[in-house]
Amino acid sequence: MAPLTRRRVPPEFRLPSDADATAPPSVRRTLAAAASRELWLAVHLPCVVLESLQTAIALLPGRPPVAVVDLERDGKVVCACDAVAAAAGVTPGMALASARALLPELQGLPRDLQRERTLFETVAQLGIRFTPRVSLEPPDAVLLEVRGSLRLFGGARALCERVREHMQSAGITGHLALTPTPLASLWFARAGQEVALRRADELVGRLAPLPLAVMRWPERSVHTLLTMGVRNLGDCLRLPRDGFARRFDPRLLAMLDRATGRLPDPRAAFRARERFSAQRDLEPELADTQRLEAASLPLLDELCVFLRQRGRGVQSIEWRFVHREAPVTRLRLRFVEPVGEARRIAHLFHERLARLELSEPVRAVRLASGPLVELPVASTELFISDRRESGAAVPQLVERLRARLGAEAVHGLCLVPEHRPESAWQARYRWSDPSVVALPKPTDPTTGTLRPLWLLAEPQPLAGDDQPRCQGALELEEGPERIESGWWDGKDIARDYYIARNASGARLWVFRERRRRNGHAAGGWFLHGVFG
Amino acid sequence: MSLDDLLRQHPTLWRAQEQGGPTVAPPGLPTGFAALDRCLPGGGWPQQGLIEILTDRHGIGELSLLMPALAMLCRSNEDGRGSSGGWLTWVAPPYQPYAPALAASGIDVQRVLVVRAAAPAEWAMEQALRSEACSAVLGWANPREMTMLRRLQLAAEQSRCLAVLFRPVQAGQQPSPAVLRIELQASREGLQVRVVKSRGGRPACVQLGHLGAPWQFQQPLPQSPRQPAPFAH
Repeated sequence: MAPLTRRRVPPEFRLPSDADATAPPSVRRTLAAAASRELWLAVHLPCVVLESLQTAIALLPGRPPVAVVDLERDGKVVCACDAVAAAAGVTPGMALASARALLPELQGLPRDLQRERTLFETVAQLGIRFTPRVSLEPPDAVLLEVRGSLRLFGGARALCERVREHMQSAGITGHLALTPTPLASLWFARAGQEVALRRADELVGRLAPLPLAVMRWPERSVHTLLTMGVRNLGDCLRLPRDGFARRFDPRLLAMLDRATGRLPDPRAAFRARERFSAQRDLEPELADTQRLEAASLPLLDELCVFLRQRGRGVQSIEWRFVHREAPVTRLRLRFVEPVGEARRIAHLFHERLARLELSEPVRAVRLASGPLVELPVASTELFISDRRESGAAVPQLVERLRARLGAEAVHGLCLVPEHRPESAWQARYRWSDPSVVALPKPTDPTTGTLRPLWLLAEPQPLAGDDQPRCQGALELEEGPERIESGWWDGKDIARDYYIARNASGARLWVFRERRRRNGHAAGGWFLHGVFG
Repeated sequence: MSLDDLLRQHPTLWRAQEQGGPTVAPPGLPTGFAALDRCLPGGGWPQQGLIEILTDRHGIGELSLLMPALAMLCRSNEDGRGSSGGWLTWVAPPYQPYAPALAASGIDVQRVLVVRAAAPAEWAMEQALRSEACSAVLGWANPREMTMLRRLQLAAEQSRCLAVLFRPVQAGQQPSPAVLRIELQASREGLQVRVVKSRGGRPACVQLGHLGAPWQFQQPLPQSPRQPAPFAH
């Protein structure tokens, strides 16, 4: 392969800021505009693996030197170590056995990805205080777009200081770097160079000395570049574009372009996943549900204050009652619509708690909310005479009934345009307020025909051949109405329906099966409805 | 001078019929059957207090009897503001209320709530009555204790909605705090409605024809009790 670096680079393939004067004026303008629009602060967490285990390390007796091992690789390879171990010559990637040989008192700890994620999200949450545009670069960096916040926090320097203070108080070490593009900031931060660049045209020059490793490209590509004599980013940027695009993944070229501001770099924004969670220890332990309820209600008030401050609601909450020995008792409350009102939650809680069997006295109560959702904003009527007209009380009624009777026990009705009697209606379990969503009125194919007010869940076989019998012979009054339909879903029917009256004066809806079905011969009589 | 006049002169005598008589009784919800309306003190189903319907059989017209009133509750909702209004709650019905037939009777099925409560049907009924969400609550239960009946009656009294409790005829032997108790019997001529107890009214017996679905009005359906528009000219 011909060494690429030897070739003369045609000017049009140079990156524009490298040859600013030669770039067409339009390119210069867009670059300048992009540079003035955004300013990205990258926060890289070099010690995230170790710091996520801070609490576990503090519990180790005697404070031994610590190395964290990756369980994915059989727990035998060190992936991070503390300063003492590093001073003794332990490095990441070393086998734990060799590390132990260097430092016999070395303590190995398993890596905890969950905690790392939590720590990482803590930093992202922290970023939310400075700017609404926070973007994640897992597993160990967070990007903040801070252009709009500079004035509020008194300039870039003051803002970086504030971020650093917050991180220090959380016990997290981080490298900060500020440049007009997210990737450049990220690479500087990974390299541990704490720079603050405001101008995009300085980017290429300043990026040049960075090692290739900061880009975290695939090992094969980096290896190829190294064999070509490309040692740092500057060498990389000097390669001809067409050759680079041909030899490497086009995404790598795009990354270089993004880092230097040649391509826009839109990034997904981090949305804080907020939940409420609180605990209350009970002293003494409580065994009866009444006192437990009284002791739990302050937590509920806390939740509602939390929700009110954010103007949001919850659709589910979970109570956990912690016992001394027995497993935690969980009590989950679901609401048919988002709620944020303490009284309403308390009502349901009371209902459920009254039926709860506690295996042991409760030591602590925990309350955790489900995801926060927007509260529906409803306008209330000024001259409302009756709460019924607002329809606001219905969901609460449904919730209360479902809390005690189960979700299946409470349902609404809806019509289905169908000829088969049993398919012409459906139970409605999903809750939606019909005053908001007006369902289209289905056209009923059976208009003008008589239907009973009561329908039996299953047609009930009747005795009798020519004349059906049900508590005495039935007198057929009207009919037959032939219903033959449903070949498409395997539940096809062929029936002759009659309206019949029995000896005691009740009007019944009976049918005669026209086909053999379910072990019943053709011609059998069935009761399907009562006229009520 | 008739005995009636003599009794009328006596200051310490009063008649049960006049106690809270038609002038005092709040206007009821027209039943849709003129003959029955005449027997009921408010000129229709009382809307405050429990109504007990005693019947042993299903299918003799016990639901059809209520359909005009329920349809009117739905209609008054529609006539009001948009489609807002109370719900019709059915607690522990013996069979499945059949939506197409309800719709044919003029009921807005989207506002029907069915509660399949086996054991605490009375509890569910009380919750529905107290919720201020319903314009009618129909329940099928036979509460044994007087306290439960009294609670239902109290809830019904405060709720301003049509509260109907279906009980077996046998229960008519026991006293009940309900404001209206009627017993239904099927006969050759149709449905016989016997008013067993009526607060402010007197026992009576009305013979209604065969009530089948769809029920027929024996008189044009009265206009729904609409409030006049506040700024009408």
